[in-house]
Amino acid sequence: MNSLFWTQISAIVRIEMKKTFFAKRGLWIYLLALAPVALFFTHSMVEIHEHGARRQMVQKSARQLTERDLFSIGIGMSREDVIARLGEPPVSRTRNRRMRTGRHSSIIVPTEIMSYSDGNNELVLAVQNGAVTGIQKASGISLGQDSYVFAGVFQFFFLRLAIFFGCLGIFMNLFRGEMLDKSLHFYLLTPVRREILMIGKYLAGLLAATVIFSTSTALQFIALLLQFDAAVIAQYMDQNHGLAQMAAYLGVTVLACIGYGSIFLAAGLLFRNPIVPAAAVLIWEAANPVLPALLKKFSIIYYLKSLCPFEITLDPGMPPLFALLASNPEPISRYIAIFGLLAVSILVLLAASKRVRRLEINYSAD
Amino acid sequence: MSDRIVFDNVSKFYGDVLGVNRVNLSIPPGITSLVGPNGSGKTTLMNLMTGLIRPSRGHVSILGLTPDQPEQLFHLVGYSTQYDSFPKGLTGYQCVSSYLRLYGFDRAQSEQLTWAAIDRVGLRDAAHRKAAGYSKGMRQRIRLAQSLAHNPRVLVLDEPLNGLDPLVRAETIALFRALAKGGCHVILSSHVLHEVDIISDQVILMSAGYVAAEGNIQSVRSEIEDHPMQILIRCDRPGELASRFFAEDHVVEVRLHNDRRGLLVKTKAPDRFYLLMNRIALDGFAVESVAPCDDDVNSVYEYLIGAEEPTR
Ligand SMILES: Nc1ncnc2c1ncn2[C@@H]1O[C@H](COP(=O)(O)OP(=O)(O)OP(=O)(O)O)[C@@H](O)[C@H]1O
Ligand SMILES: [Mg+2]
Repeated sequence: MNSLFWTQISAIVRIEMKKTFFAKRGLWIYLLALAPVALFFTHSMVEIHEHGARRQMVQKSARQLTERDLFSIGIGMSREDVIARLGEPPVSRTRNRRMRTGRHSSIIVPTEIMSYSDGNNELVLAVQNGAVTGIQKASGISLGQDSYVFAGVFQFFFLRLAIFFGCLGIFMNLFRGEMLDKSLHFYLLTPVRREILMIGKYLAGLLAATVIFSTSTALQFIALLLQFDAAVIAQYMDQNHGLAQMAAYLGVTVLACIGYGSIFLAAGLLFRNPIVPAAAVLIWEAANPVLPALLKKFSIIYYLKSLCPFEITLDPGMPPLFALLASNPEPISRYIAIFGLLAVSILVLLAASKRVRRLEINYSAD
Repeated sequence: MSDRIVFDNVSKFYGDVLGVNRVNLSIPPGITSLVGPNGSGKTTLMNLMTGLIRPSRGHVSILGLTPDQPEQLFHLVGYSTQYDSFPKGLTGYQCVSSYLRLYGFDRAQSEQLTWAAIDRVGLRDAAHRKAAGYSKGMRQRIRLAQSLAHNPRVLVLDEPLNGLDPLVRAETIALFRALAKGGCHVILSSHVLHEVDIISDQVILMSAGYVAAEGNIQSVRSEIEDHPMQILIRCDRPGELASRFFAEDHVVEVRLHNDRRGLLVKTKAPDRFYLLMNRIALDGFAVESVAPCDDDVNSVYEYLIGAEEPTR
C-alpha cells in the first residue's frame, strides 16, 4: 500500500513539474528570484571597476599611502601641506567653478580636484586659492559591511517579497490553476486519494520553489563575493563562519518555501482570487511583531526571523515600517524555530487536506 | 459486491440552482442512456456518480462503493466528461499514459494499455500530436480512450457521440455494444433520444432535474415509432442529397433550408436514416453536420414526457 502511495506521488510530481517549472505564466517568478542576483552582480562589477581605478592611482602616486594618511587631511589645510603629507596627486584636474558673491554677482574660481587612494579607500579634495575647501571620502569595499547589506536585502526583499510572491504564484496555482484550465478532473478521476494528490502537488511545488529560490540565494552569495580576492573570501569563510552563514541562508530559503508553500496551497483551495489571500497573509506577516504572543506563533516570518544569521539592528533613522518589520523582540532558539515552522506548515496542510476531500469540480462559476 | 449503480433519493443543488432532485435509480449492467434537453441534469448525475460533485442529499453507490473512495472506485470506473479541455501541452498519448501511472501500472504496462486504448478509438496516427490541437471529434475520442484505458467495469460517458462523423459514430457504437456484452455498465448521455435508443438497453429520461421516465427501450421506442423526427443536414450539395432522400420510404418530407446550404429531413425511422447517412458519407458528399432540430427535440420530449416544454 505504501509503495503504491509513493508510485502515485512520484507520478504526480512528474506530471506537475512541467507546470511548476516551465509555465509561461510563471516566468515572473524567475525574474523575481533573479532580481537580487542582478543587484549584487551589478554592485560587484561597479566595485571591481572602481577598485581597478584606485589601484592605478596607487601605482601613479608619488608615495605609498595608508588609510591614516588619507584621514589626516582637513578643511582649510593649505595645498603645500597636503602635498607634503600625501605627495603630488596621482589624478588631478582643474575646473572653473562659479561662486556667488552677492545677489546678482558671481565670480569664477579655478578649482583643483585632487584624488588620492591607498588602494582601497579614495579621497577627493577640492582646492581653491591654495587651500582645501571640500573633502569627499569613499571608503573601500569591506565584506563585513556587504554581508550586512546582504542581510537587509534578504530579509526585506527576498524573504518578504520574492519568496512570498513566488510561492504564491507556484502553490496557489496547483489546484486553482487547474480549476481555471478545466483540467483538474483528470486527477480526480484516478484512483488516488485526494490527500495523496495534495501531497504530490505540494511536493512538486516545493521542488520548484526550493530549486528556484535556493539557486537564487547561492547565486546572490557568489555575485556578492565576486568583487573580493580569494584571500579575503578565504579569511571570511574561515573567521566569520561564511559557509555556516551561507548554509543558514539556504536553510531559511528552504523553510520559507515549506511554510509559504503550505499556506498558499491551502489558499488556492479556498479562494479563486489570489489577491484576497495574498493581501491578508502579507498584512498578517507584517503585523507579526505587534500581535499577541499566541497569535504570533501562527505565522511563518516569526520563525524565519530568528533563523536569519544576522539580526537587523534597529537604527533610529530607519523608516518606522522597516523598523517594525525588522524588530524581533523575542528571538527563539534555532531548533524551536525550525520545529515551530514545520508544525505550522503541517497544521495548515492538515486543514487543507480536509478541504481537498470535499473539493468539487465547479468550472462554470467565475 | 452489488452489480448495480444506485441513486438513493439523491438531490443536488448548486446554491439555489437545482441540479437534480430526488433521484432514485438502480442501474443494471448494459447500455443505459441518460436523455434530456440542455440543463436537465445529465452531467450532474454523472458527476455525482464519479464524486466530482457531492450530493446535497441522499446517497450514491457504484457496485457497492461510494464515490468518495476514489482509490477504489476508479479501478472500476472510467468517466469521459463533457469538459473539452486537456492538461496543457500534453499529446494525446501522454493524456492517457501519464494518468495511467497513477493506477499503479509500471511504464511498460501503461504503454501497452495506452496503445490498446488509442487503437480502440482509432487515433494511432495522431497519438503524438498535442491533444489541445485535435479536432472536436478527435478530442472526443481521446477522452473516450482515456476513460477506458484501464479496462473499467463501469464506463460513464457524457455525450460521447457528440461531434463524431457517421463512420466513427458507427464504430464507437459498436465498441459500446461490445463492452456491454462483456458485462460492463455503459452509461451515456445524449440530448437526442433517437441517437441512442437503438443501442440502449434502457433509457432514463431527464427533464428539469427530475427523472421523467425510466425503463426498457422497447416500450419507449414503440411510443415514438410514428412520431417523425426532423433532422438538419449541413452539406455541400443539398440539392443532390435531397433527391437521394426522396427515394427512401421512411422519409416523410425533405426541404431545402432557407440559406440553401442545408437540408431538413423528416423521417419515421431514425435508425435507418442514420444508416443511410453512413453510406452517403462514403459516396463523397461533404457532410458538415447532422443534427436533430432543436424544436423538434423538444416536441419529442413533450410527447414522451407529457409535460410542457422545459423552460430553460
Ligand atoms: N457548477 C454549477 N453551478 C451552478 N449551476 C449549475 C452548475 N452545473 C450545473 N448547473 C445547473 O444545473 C442544472 C443541470 O445542469 P447539467 O449540466 O447537469 O445539465 P445537462 O443535462 O448536462 O445539460 P447539457 O445537455 O447542456 O450538458 C442546470 O440548470 C445548470 O444550470
Ligand atoms: Mg451536460
